[in-house]
Amino acid sequence: MWMKKRYVVDLDGDQHNAVVARRGEATEIAVDESPARPANHRPVLGGRALSLRYGRRLHLIHLSEGGAGGAVDVTVGGRPVTTMVMDELRAQALESLGTAAGSGTICADIPGLVVELKVEPGQKVHQGEPVIVVEAMKMQNELCAAVSGTVIEIPVASGASVNPGDPLVVIEPEPGG
Amino acid sequence: MAQKFSKVLVANRGEIAVRIIQGLREMGIASVAVHSDVDRTALHVLMADEAVAIGPAPAAESYLVGERVIEAAKTTGAEAIHPGYGFLSENGPFSRAVEEAGLVFIGPKAETMEVMGDKLSARRRMRAAGVPVVPGTDEAVRDPEVATEIADGIGYPVLLKASAGGGGKGMRIVREAGEMAGALRRTMGEAGASFGDDSIFVEKYVENPKHIEVQVLGDGKGEVIHVFERECSVQRRHQKVIEESPSPSLTPALRERICDAAVQTAKAVDYRGAGTVEFILAPDGEFYFLEMNTRLQVEHPVTEMVTGTDLVRAMVLVAQGDGLCYRQEDLVQRGWSLEFRLYAEDPGKGFTPSIGRIESMTVPLGPGVRLDTGIYEGFDVPIHYDPMLAKLVVWGEDRDQAIARGKRVLREFVLHGPVHNLPFHLWALDQPAFLDGSYTTHFVEEAFDPADWLPALTDEERQAIIAAVALYESERRSGDSTPESTDASVGNWRLNALRAMTGNR
Repeated sequence: MWMKKRYVVDLDGDQHNAVVARRGEATEIAVDESPARPANHRPVLGGRALSLRYGRRLHLIHLSEGGAGGAVDVTVGGRPVTTMVMDELRAQALESLGTAAGSGTICADIPGLVVELKVEPGQKVHQGEPVIVVEAMKMQNELCAAVSGTVIEIPVASGASVNPGDPLVVIEPEPGG
Repeated sequence: MAQKFSKVLVANRGEIAVRIIQGLREMGIASVAVHSDVDRTALHVLMADEAVAIGPAPAAESYLVGERVIEAAKTTGAEAIHPGYGFLSENGPFSRAVEEAGLVFIGPKAETMEVMGDKLSARRRMRAAGVPVVPGTDEAVRDPEVATEIADGIGYPVLLKASAGGGGKGMRIVREAGEMAGALRRTMGEAGASFGDDSIFVEKYVENPKHIEVQVLGDGKGEVIHVFERECSVQRRHQKVIEESPSPSLTPALRERICDAAVQTAKAVDYRGAGTVEFILAPDGEFYFLEMNTRLQVEHPVTEMVTGTDLVRAMVLVAQGDGLCYRQEDLVQRGWSLEFRLYAEDPGKGFTPSIGRIESMTVPLGPGVRLDTGIYEGFDVPIHYDPMLAKLVVWGEDRDQAIARGKRVLREFVLHGPVHNLPFHLWALDQPAFLDGSYTTHFVEEAFDPADWLPALTDEERQAIIAAVALYESERRSGDSTPESTDASVGNWRLNALRAMTGNR
């Protein structure tokens, strides 16, 4: 039986859908409703690269985690490209919040446990102010507001476990700030 | 008086310190690194046999403090100091202090550096030695009327140049007599403020020049040889970014003349060690002495690639008193070499420097490839120093093969972290003026459009990227059990752990 998972990938500001389907060793990917293609992928050259064949052509794609939550830095053919990726649930959550990922949204960097919320919805925060504490790998990490603004949503509760890319605190940036 | 060194201090950082340490190790000589506080975990420190901290991050309080460097050499028992390039490499008083401390300075005599460090005194010395210099004055000019008279004599446009200037600073083009008075006043003001010396001289401005330089080696006792030319006309902000050897602009006859002129230049100052004589080549085939760099040059690897020499070793041997290790008649140029300087800078934004952690790096290997590097995965590029990270050097049997190889390795090279200029090099290798060798020092300003230079992704590449990113995300989340994805997850955990521990983000 195929296990399917849908992702939303932002490339140069355009959002694309990708469905990753797996069955045993086999993996197929469909991009933007195009027919699914067998991925025939394997990490090469140091483990953070994927080789994908489209028909007969081979594309070597190097990936590493980028700065903000969900960002993935990509190099293809010597050209650097920054992308954002999120799973379907998160994409929908963000859509319903009406907020673009990365702007005022603080996302989990690594899997962990929310140990303390330092702000509540409606509160004004300044850029650099600590807003949430996440424990991961036995270390407590204070995450700070990337922008000054108003906290409009905290989709997690104290004690919740979170995964990389999960939105933690959504801040509406101050106009002009 | 041959004295074999057993330990040498390297008074530099980054890729050049690493290059020198590697050369010393091959000669069986122990190395001592010096470093500032922020460079505690820099590659040259990790590679050297010993390391000495010499001060805080700003170069003026660490790498430029001669006394601390000399003290570090004495404390560790090093017999000699190799200065690399930049920092203390062309500082006459420093090299004198090194010798007064009973140590050997691996480079030319202090007097040579002082003559060549002052453009006017270098001009006078070269004219006396019969080396062609750009038509102009040999004396400082203060009076606009005198300057105008001189300019009328040599013909416009002319260049006003600060005698103590360098690196493209303290220069101004004057295209007609009416501009002279204002231009002279401003250039003198800038030179006084930047170099503490407002001596200005006038020379003919050569339009559309090429930058050709010749590597020389001298034993300090009158014997000088050349190791052929390099062309360094691909420049941005008056700094070189791509260099090649041989030069595509020289005929065999011109090559012989320009290399002879370089030997003549070095002989005139009884040159000791490795040095570079820079010339400008005018479109009519005339060439003129520009300046002499009395040190190892950034782009020395292209010379090593086409001649099979080791210039660091040659410098050390001369400093030990062993004399020159090559004979002129044994040196030939074989094949072609290109060097691409890898800078942490954004070509699309005026080549402004960038900083950050090297998150991921994949170095291309294969035939004819050399990488001189000062970075590694996890290294934080500091803001205090030159943003050059590494030099990617290729060799091919001819220029076409070297270019093809350059494209191959630039496409295989992956660097995530700071914004960098690898895509700029790929751009350059597609430009007609580079491919046919006609490029001049104005190449980048003429051909590079910061708004339109990165080739667009094809639809297929876009699809492949989207698929790869989704796949990456799914493996990073699922932690499933195929061996490959286990490896990938381990990699992510490691990266995340480092990030958490250092409190970065």
